[in-house]
Amino acid sequence: MNVHPGPTEEDLQTIAEQVWASYLDPDGSSPLILLPPEKPSREVSASVSMTGAWRGHVVIWTSATASRHAAAALLGVELEDVTVEDVTDGLGELANIIGGNVKSLVIGPTALSLPHVLISGESGYPQVVEVCKLAGIWRDEPITISVLQSAERAGRAG
Amino acid sequence: MKILVVDDSRVMRQIVTRTLRQAGYSGHDVVEACDGRAGYEAAVSEKPDLVLSDWNMPGMTGVEVLRTLRADGVQTPFGFVTSEGSDEMRQTALDAGALFLITKPFTAASFRDALGPILG
Repeated sequence: MNVHPGPTEEDLQTIAEQVWASYLDPDGSSPLILLPPEKPSREVSASVSMTGAWRGHVVIWTSATASRHAAAALLGVELEDVTVEDVTDGLGELANIIGGNVKSLVIGPTALSLPHVLISGESGYPQVVEVCKLAGIWRDEPITISVLQSAERAGRAG
Repeated sequence: MKILVVDDSRVMRQIVTRTLRQAGYSGHDVVEACDGRAGYEAAVSEKPDLVLSDWNMPGMTGVEVLRTLRADGVQTPFGFVTSEGSDEMRQTALDAGALFLITKPFTAASFRDALGPILG
């Protein structure tokens, strides 16, 4: 299997340091400590995808608490004032920033997707509207199929 | 002066507005648009003195906004604030008529460097 050269761990560390210094820890009091956590969490994920010469995803996985801290830092609000929408928008933007910087490191024309955020199993797609949905039961288990459209295009759909 | 901030992320619009303040541009009137189409319409109707736009947005990208404005004869100073800063994108931005491209993450200093020649 051929793997197109992509960013390195060192590249990712440089990008993360810039993100923390600019938005998540501007005063240097709460740095990102690069040690493997004892209990990795996937309660919240935020991702962007790349297609073209380099194809793949940039994903942030974290805990619900950390995601709320990130949203609070990005918005400059108190932790207790953070809403689910804040977390969706904030984590999506973090994925977009890191993904955009990763994209700048890959060779060849590559397109970056809009972000996708997942909170405790609940999907969050910033700036979309549900245009139709099918909900049902199959083998006593629920199944829902949704079609989501970017909000701007949905507004123009005739 | 009036500055139009175009970004599909509410969080990022707030960060841009806050960074403008931190960079010393708190006296300016800031208006927001939540995607490319709304940005284009606001650039025409609000007649801002400067547009700061994201690139990757649903519906209409930032560079499409800029190209459409220029095709319509709107010459408002326009700069990008985007997460993607490759040489190719910078060249595309300049070719379309952008004055600068600020990459995310950014600081107040990077805003001053880019906006100083325009806002003083």
